[in-house]
Amino acid sequence: MRHEKPPPSGDGTLEYVCCALGPTTEPINPLLRSVALRGAVVPRWIPNEPGEEEALLEALQISSVEQLFRDVPKKARIGRLGVGPGREEPDVVCEVDRLLDRNKPLAKFASFLGGRISNRYSPAAVDAMVSRSEFYTSYTPFQPEASQGMLRVLFEFQSLWVELTGLDVANASLYDGATAAGEALLFCRRLHEGHRFLVPASLPWEEKSVLENYASGPGLRLEEVPFDERTGRLDLDFVRRALSAGDVFGLLADIPNGFGHLDEGVADLKGILGDVPLVVAADPLSLSVLEPPGRYGADVVVGEGQGFGIAPSFGGPLLGLFACRAEHVRSAPGRIVGATQDVEGRPAFALTLQTREQHIRRSRATSNICTNQSLMALAFTVYATVVGPRGLATLQASIAEKARTLASALGGIEGLKAPRFDAPYLGEFTVEVGRGTGEEFLDRLRRKKILGGIPLGDPRSRATRGAERILVAATDATTDREIQKYARAARAAIAAVGRSE
Amino acid sequence: MTFRQARWDEPDVWDLAPSPVREAPPEIPGVPDRLRRKELVRWPELAELEVVRHYTRLSQMNFGIDTAPYALGSCTMKYNPKVSEMLARRPGAAGLHPYQPEATAQGALELLWRLERILAKVTGLPEVSLQAGAGAHGEWAALLMVRAYFRDRNELEHRTEVLLPDTAHGTNPASAMMAGFSTREIRSKDGCVDLDALRAAVSDRTACFMLTNPNTAGLFESDILEIAETVHGAGGMLYYDGANLNAILGVTHPGRMGFDVAHLNLHKTFATPHGGGGPGAGVLAAGESLAPYLPVPRVVKSGRKFRFDYDRPKSIGKIKTAYGNFGLDLRAFAFALTHGEEGLNHVARRAVLNSNYLASKMGQFLPRPFRSLVKHEFLLSGAPLKARGVRTLDLAKRLLDEGVHAPTIYFPSLVEESLMIELPETESKRELDQYIAAFERAVTDTAENLHAAPRSLAVGRIDEVRAAREPRLSWKDLRSAAAAKVEAPASVGPAR
Repeated sequence: MRHEKPPPSGDGTLEYVCCALGPTTEPINPLLRSVALRGAVVPRWIPNEPGEEEALLEALQISSVEQLFRDVPKKARIGRLGVGPGREEPDVVCEVDRLLDRNKPLAKFASFLGGRISNRYSPAAVDAMVSRSEFYTSYTPFQPEASQGMLRVLFEFQSLWVELTGLDVANASLYDGATAAGEALLFCRRLHEGHRFLVPASLPWEEKSVLENYASGPGLRLEEVPFDERTGRLDLDFVRRALSAGDVFGLLADIPNGFGHLDEGVADLKGILGDVPLVVAADPLSLSVLEPPGRYGADVVVGEGQGFGIAPSFGGPLLGLFACRAEHVRSAPGRIVGATQDVEGRPAFALTLQTREQHIRRSRATSNICTNQSLMALAFTVYATVVGPRGLATLQASIAEKARTLASALGGIEGLKAPRFDAPYLGEFTVEVGRGTGEEFLDRLRRKKILGGIPLGDPRSRATRGAERILVAATDATTDREIQKYARAARAAIAAVGRSE
Repeated sequence: MTFRQARWDEPDVWDLAPSPVREAPPEIPGVPDRLRRKELVRWPELAELEVVRHYTRLSQMNFGIDTAPYALGSCTMKYNPKVSEMLARRPGAAGLHPYQPEATAQGALELLWRLERILAKVTGLPEVSLQAGAGAHGEWAALLMVRAYFRDRNELEHRTEVLLPDTAHGTNPASAMMAGFSTREIRSKDGCVDLDALRAAVSDRTACFMLTNPNTAGLFESDILEIAETVHGAGGMLYYDGANLNAILGVTHPGRMGFDVAHLNLHKTFATPHGGGGPGAGVLAAGESLAPYLPVPRVVKSGRKFRFDYDRPKSIGKIKTAYGNFGLDLRAFAFALTHGEEGLNHVARRAVLNSNYLASKMGQFLPRPFRSLVKHEFLLSGAPLKARGVRTLDLAKRLLDEGVHAPTIYFPSLVEESLMIELPETESKRELDQYIAAFERAVTDTAENLHAAPRSLAVGRIDEVRAAREPRLSWKDLRSAAAAKVEAPASVGPAR
C-alpha cells in the first residue's frame, strides 16, 4: 500500500513536505499507521486490527459504514475537505519543529516582558505533576467517587486563593484574569443595582475590551476613572462624584495597576464605595507580600494565575482566579468544590452548589462557563507548595530588588523617564520614551537581542498605537549584566531616535 | 478482573506540615505600610519530595482516559496523543510571550494561520478565530457577534430572542442570557427538532437558533436544510454548537448544512486533553455575514510574513487575554496534520461505528428511546430499573466499580433517567466488548449491590446533599468548623 500523491490544497495548509520523511511516496510505516477498510490510511491511534471493523459491521448486520450515515441528506453531504493527506508521526514532529524553529523564544533574549504574563522559572516538579495523565486525561469530576484526586487538588487550590486574598470562597478557576474580571463585573451586578461599572483608565486596553464585552450583553457600561498624571493613582474624587451621580454597581481596581505600580488609594476605596461592590484584580505573587485585599474591603478578588507554574505559551492556556465573600457564594460563577463525607463518614469532596450552574439552571445560571482551567489550577497549587510561603515572598522581594536596580539604571538616561510614575512598584513599572514612539525604541532594542517591554497603546487605534509608554518588567531570571546591557542599548536607541528626527 | 482504585489515607496538604504564619514577609522598600502583608501566607512549608508524593498519591485516586474508558456522552473522551504533549512543551512553543514582537513569533503565527485554514475547511465556514477559551466562551462570543450584526442592521430592537431545542446543552441558554438575549425552547419530536414547532416559533423577534447536530440524543437532525431555510426565512441566524462535530468530520459540515456561525471544542474533536475540567480551546468559525465581527486580532498572511491584524472596525474586540490557548491549538494542529483528509473522515466513521455497535449491544439491557440509527453517542433510559428501587445514579456508581467511567447521566432531560454514552474512535472492539460486559454485570446486579456502589474506589458513595447544605469550601472553612468543634452528624443515605 502506498500513499497517493495528494492534490495540492492550494493555500498551503498541509502541503509542506519536510525532512527526509516526505509522506507522499514512502510505504506506510506499520508502527505508526495502518490501512483501514476502503484503503484509508489512518493513525495507529484509531484501533484497526485486521478484521476488527468487519466484525463491528457484521454485528450490526450491515456491509459498510456508509449505511450508518444514511440519515445525512444527500444535499447536505460534502465531497473532500481538501486538507491534504495524513502524515507519519515523525513527519508531524518534524513539521511542527520546523515551525517552532522560526520562533525566537524568550530564552534567546534579555527579556523584560511582563504585563499579566510572566516567564518566571517553574520548578520541574510542577510539570511532572501536571503530566500525570490520571490528571490531564480526566474530565470535569462529575463522578466524584472516581475523581477524588482532582477534586482534592481543586479544594486545595480554592483554599490557597482564599488565603492569598483574605476572602472566604474561591471557585475552581475561570479562563484567565481578564475573563475573571468580566465575570466579576456580572457578579457585582447581581449584588447591586445600577448600570455603570467603574474601571481605571490605566487598565490595559485588552482587559477593557474584554470587560466591555461582558458588560454589553446585559446593557451595562464601563466608565473610566482617570488617574493622577504624576503618580498614576486613581482619582478618588472622581469616584466620589460618580457614586453620588448614582447608578454605579461596582468598581474594579488593579494591584499592581496597568502601569505596574502600587496605588495606596485602593485601601480607601471600600470606605468611599459603601455597599457598592469592590473588585480588586491582584497579581498572585504580589499577594505574598501585600495586604490581602479582603482586609481592606474587597468583595471580589480576581487575578491571572499564569505566573505560578504555567508556561507563557504565547498567551494560553492561562488561569483565571476568583474569590468572594461567603454570603455571596450563591451568586458566584464557575465550579466550586466542597468538602463532605462518604457513606462511611470518611472525608470526601464533590462539586457543590451546582444549582448556580448552566447545566442545572440554564438561562438563569450565574455564568455559562463549563470547561474551566482545572489543570492550570493544579499547576498553580503545586507551584505554590513547592516554592512555599517563605519562598514566594522572598521571590517577590528579590524580583522587586531587580526592578529597582533596573529603574535606577534606566532612570539616569536622558530622553527616558523611568519610572514614569512617582509611585511604589514591585516587579514592573512604566517607562516613558521622550523621543519617537515606544515601538521604535523597542525595535532598536530588539536588534540588540533585548525585549525591552510592552507598548501600552491600543493597537486598534492609530492615535495610541505609537504611544510612548512601555511597561518594563524584571523577572527572577534578570541578571545585573542584562540590566546593564539594557541601559547601554536604551541610551544608544534614544540617541539614535534623536538623530533621525 | 477485579478493579481496585488506590486508597491512600492522604492528609490535605496543610496537614502535612506546619505553616509559618507568625512570620512577616521580607520588607520591600517603598511599599506603604497599609499595603504591606503582616504575616506570610498561611500555607505549609514542605520538601519537594513530600509535595511530589502528595500529588502523585492524589493522582492515583483519579480516573483518566489513560486509566479507563470514559464513556461520558457529549464529552468525546478520546485518546490524547502523547506526541502532542511532547510538542507543546518545546521551548519554541511554551517559551513564547504573547506580547513579544510578531517578527520573533513567525512560526507560532503560521501555525495559528494554518490551523485556522484547516478548521475553515472542516467547518465549511471561511473565517476562523481561535481566541475563545472553551466552547461556552465561543457560544457567548458568537452571540455577541450576532448582536453586533443586528445592531448594524437596526434590527436589534426587535431581534431579542434566541431559540433552542429542548435537547440543547445548558451552556446554550446560559450564553444567550449573558449575551443579552431571552431564550425560548423548541420542543423535540422523536428526539429531533419538531419542524412545525420551529416554524411556529420563528418570527422577526428571532435573532438566532442554536443547534447541535448530531444532537445530544445522538441523532442527526435530518431536517437540517429545512431548519436552515426556516430560520433564514425569518431573518434569523443559525448557530452550530460543535460539541458533537466528531460524528460528521468529512461527511458534512456546518457551512453545507446552512449554519452562519459555529464554535468547535478542540478539547473534544481535536483530542486536546480535558485536564480534569480544563483547559479547553474554543474555535469560532463564521460565514460572510458575521465574519467582520470576529474578535481581534485576526492572524493574516501578507506576502511570506504573518502578522496580527487589529484593523477590523466591526470586530466585537477582545474576548480573552492574548489570542486563545496556543498550547492547545498546537496539539490540535498536530492532530489534524497526522490525520489528514482520510484520517479525519475515518474518525467520524469509526466513532459512529463504535457508537452503533455499543448501542445495539447495550440496548439489550435497557430501552433506547427514539430511532435506532445513532451517530457518535446514544441514549438509554434507566426508567425500568425503578421497579427494583434502582436509579440511573446507582447504575453509574456500580459501573465505576468495574473500573470504567460512567456515562453522562440525567441529561438530556427529555428522556427519563437517561444515560448518554459515547466511546469515541480510539476505543478498540476489545474495549467496547469489555465495557458492554461490565455494563451487563452492573445492570443485572442486585439492588443491594447497586445501592452500595461504589466499593472499590478511594471513597464510597459521597453525600452530595450535605456538601451543598453545609458548604465547606476551603481550608479556612475547615478550620472554623474545627474551632467550633461541630460534631459531625451521622451519615445519611446515598445521595440522590
